[in-house]
Amino acid sequence: MLEIRGLRAGYGDVPALSGVSLTVREGEIVALLGPNGAGKSTLLNCVAGLVRPWAGTIVWDGRDLKAAAAHLVIEHGVALVPEGRRLFGGMSVQENLELGAFAPRAWPKRRAALERVYALFPVLAERRRVAVQALSGGQQQMVAVGRALMASPRLLMLDEPSLGLAPRLVAAILEALVAINRDGVAVFLVEQNVPAALSLAHRGYLLEGGRIAGEGSGTDLMANEHVRRAYLGPLAVRR
Amino acid sequence: MTGHERGWAVAILAALALLALLPLAGPRDDVLNFVFLILLAVTLAESWNIVAGYAGQVNLGHAAFFGLGALVTRTLWTAGMPVLLAMAAGALMATLFALVIGVAAFRLRGAYFAIGTLALGEILRSTVSNVLPEISTLPAATIAGYRLTHRYYLALGLAAVSVIAVAALATSRLGLGMRAIREDEAAAEASGVGALALKLTALALSTALAGLAGGLFAYYHISYYPSHPFGPHWTFDALLMTFIGGVGTLQGPVLGAVLYVVLKEYLALRWVDIHLLIFGALFVAIVLLLPGGLVQAVERARGVLGGARRAA
Amino acid sequence: MILGQQLLLGLLIGGLYGLAAAGLSLIFGVMRVLNVAHGELIMLGGYGAFWLAALLGVDPFASLVLVIPGSLLLGAVLYTGLFGFVVRAHEETRVKNSLLIGFGLALALQALAVRLWTADERSIPTSYSGATISVGPLTIPLVRLATLALALVLIGALQLLLSRWRWGKAIRATAEDWQAALLTGIDIRRAYLLAFALGTALAGAAGTLVTVAYSVSPSIGLEWTLKALIVVVLAGLGSMMGTFVGGLVLGLAEAASAATFGGPYREIVGLVIFVVVLAVRPRGLFGR
Repeated sequence: MLEIRGLRAGYGDVPALSGVSLTVREGEIVALLGPNGAGKSTLLNCVAGLVRPWAGTIVWDGRDLKAAAAHLVIEHGVALVPEGRRLFGGMSVQENLELGAFAPRAWPKRRAALERVYALFPVLAERRRVAVQALSGGQQQMVAVGRALMASPRLLMLDEPSLGLAPRLVAAILEALVAINRDGVAVFLVEQNVPAALSLAHRGYLLEGGRIAGEGSGTDLMANEHVRRAYLGPLAVRR
Repeated sequence: MTGHERGWAVAILAALALLALLPLAGPRDDVLNFVFLILLAVTLAESWNIVAGYAGQVNLGHAAFFGLGALVTRTLWTAGMPVLLAMAAGALMATLFALVIGVAAFRLRGAYFAIGTLALGEILRSTVSNVLPEISTLPAATIAGYRLTHRYYLALGLAAVSVIAVAALATSRLGLGMRAIREDEAAAEASGVGALALKLTALALSTALAGLAGGLFAYYHISYYPSHPFGPHWTFDALLMTFIGGVGTLQGPVLGAVLYVVLKEYLALRWVDIHLLIFGALFVAIVLLLPGGLVQAVERARGVLGGARRAA
Repeated sequence: MILGQQLLLGLLIGGLYGLAAAGLSLIFGVMRVLNVAHGELIMLGGYGAFWLAALLGVDPFASLVLVIPGSLLLGAVLYTGLFGFVVRAHEETRVKNSLLIGFGLALALQALAVRLWTADERSIPTSYSGATISVGPLTIPLVRLATLALALVLIGALQLLLSRWRWGKAIRATAEDWQAALLTGIDIRRAYLLAFALGTALAGAAGTLVTVAYSVSPSIGLEWTLKALIVVVLAGLGSMMGTFVGGLVLGLAEAASAATFGGPYREIVGLVIFVVVLAVRPRGLFGR
């Protein structure tokens, strides 16, 4: 279980998070919604160890993640699929995926992990030797998600996975997330595509201006007036 | 410029004024030579400091301008032109060259600017070395009429000019703009500070002074190889002195120059290799631990002493 | 000397330019540190071989077996004690600080070399030093041919290391995107250490080969740093083989220019190429 309490963080003197508390329980899919600049990426980056928070606690599985070095976070079972994918462009699909299992515990099991990822995303198996920069956006996103899965994380965090993807591909990614979750992996999803996120999330939080502005179950948030007006707009269509 | 730096400016100029009296005390030639070298070093360091400390770019081709000043001055002066005019011409050539390559060079950032200017300096040195391989020696008549005190006063004047120039720069609108682009160029541009124009101005001032220093070099030495003043070690000396003293301050290059020449002339006589080892190690230590150089060390000591005094 | 012979000699030294550049390219590509003392590390490698030959009679080619691990260790020490602190800053400061530290280091190492071995030029004469083979009108000095071959082998070995070895892949990943590397569990500080050590090992090897084929003196540092820089800029970052080819190109260009304009202009052509590439195509011939 991931427990965040009173998290404060920012860049230079500028605060991005002003006291955020939330929870992600085992096996859950939790969505983090909010407008641009609300601090969603900062939150994920704090958990992943890329950003050092100013105050607050991040506890995962009873362990204080704040104290962990960034490259050890994945050893503790938390993986992040960063915004914009951040793949190793000049390297092949297979090489990118393999590096996902770089951690000493995961490395010996990488072949099996690779097979699981290829089973989840068959198109990647066909293009395993291709340099990732030559892939389409959707395929790159699959590689990014696959790479994060290679170390068998128990919490998978994703920062805007649907950004720049066509609806068909977004659906494919979401399907994959549901399958991953069925295997027992908790999913913490930051998304601007609210309907997509809420369609599979068990619960969600609303982050506005660095603070939690609301929370509830997926359906509750979907029906919430504020959410509908702010994020779904006049084109909101009931699923 | 802080009140602190203003104090230093006054102190340095006062010291220079005192040094003007030195020749009247009838000292030995080697004392005058020694002080001359310090004064030349001060000019060289302060001129390099303008681009590095105020415009924030590491120019590794500084010797090119020193060399050009020397070349033009030597050529014109030995052909009959009065030396001051020849030096002015040398500085002008250096500045013109700087402006021409500056426009292209400033398109490069950081490390690329540094190694690009290094390469340009080397191209010049290599070309001069090939085109003018013969040693340049003053004609006998000139040697007969050689007055060390003239060189000395010229060096004194030049050192004073360079200190005043840096002081004026630091307090001017120009200097403020430069500090802005040094801190954050994008932000400065956005608030209307024309970065390229400012950098070119800094470069022009820096190279003009370097050119004058080169002219002084040509006036001082009886014989040398024309490519010698183009050698990168002149740039590196300026770098060393400025950083050890404290880049971006008025007094830093002066302190660094004094320390450098003193150590070099005295220690070098006994341990010609070790002194460079010491400087290298000192330089590394300063970059890592005390990026503000001696000036920062003095500040800290002052702070510690002040605290101790208050506590006592 | 006929043109063909000159070009051949240019090619032969070009291989060493490539090897010298490969080390610098690796280090800069991975951690954005520009070690301008790289030439001095080459110089030290050369003196290492010289010492082994002069004191223990070790054949210079065989001495690579000792020089390479020695340089590897030296690189690790220099990273841990010096450049490791530079990487804490963000990129622009990092580059500037590494430039300055490299400069101080170069000064100190050069002075050290003068102290230990005097300023004289040294070389390693062997029983086979003068051996040549003739191919048509060309005379190929065997020692230099061997150094070209070894340079190619070493670069090939590095390429293999980077593509097959787990930490080699980690190094490449870190060069591409250090934050993503952290996310996949790569300790980037260790990647930096390994890259710096490997780069220094290549420098040491290059120094040995330079000394056996030509000579070494304390002042060759700046010259070789410049050559390496020229090749790195010419070839661009990211490909070891590309860097090797870049070295060959420089060697040939120098030979062609010397043949056309005369010996003194050999050095200038490299610098001019450098400046032109920086101005026109900063990412080099093979860079991404």
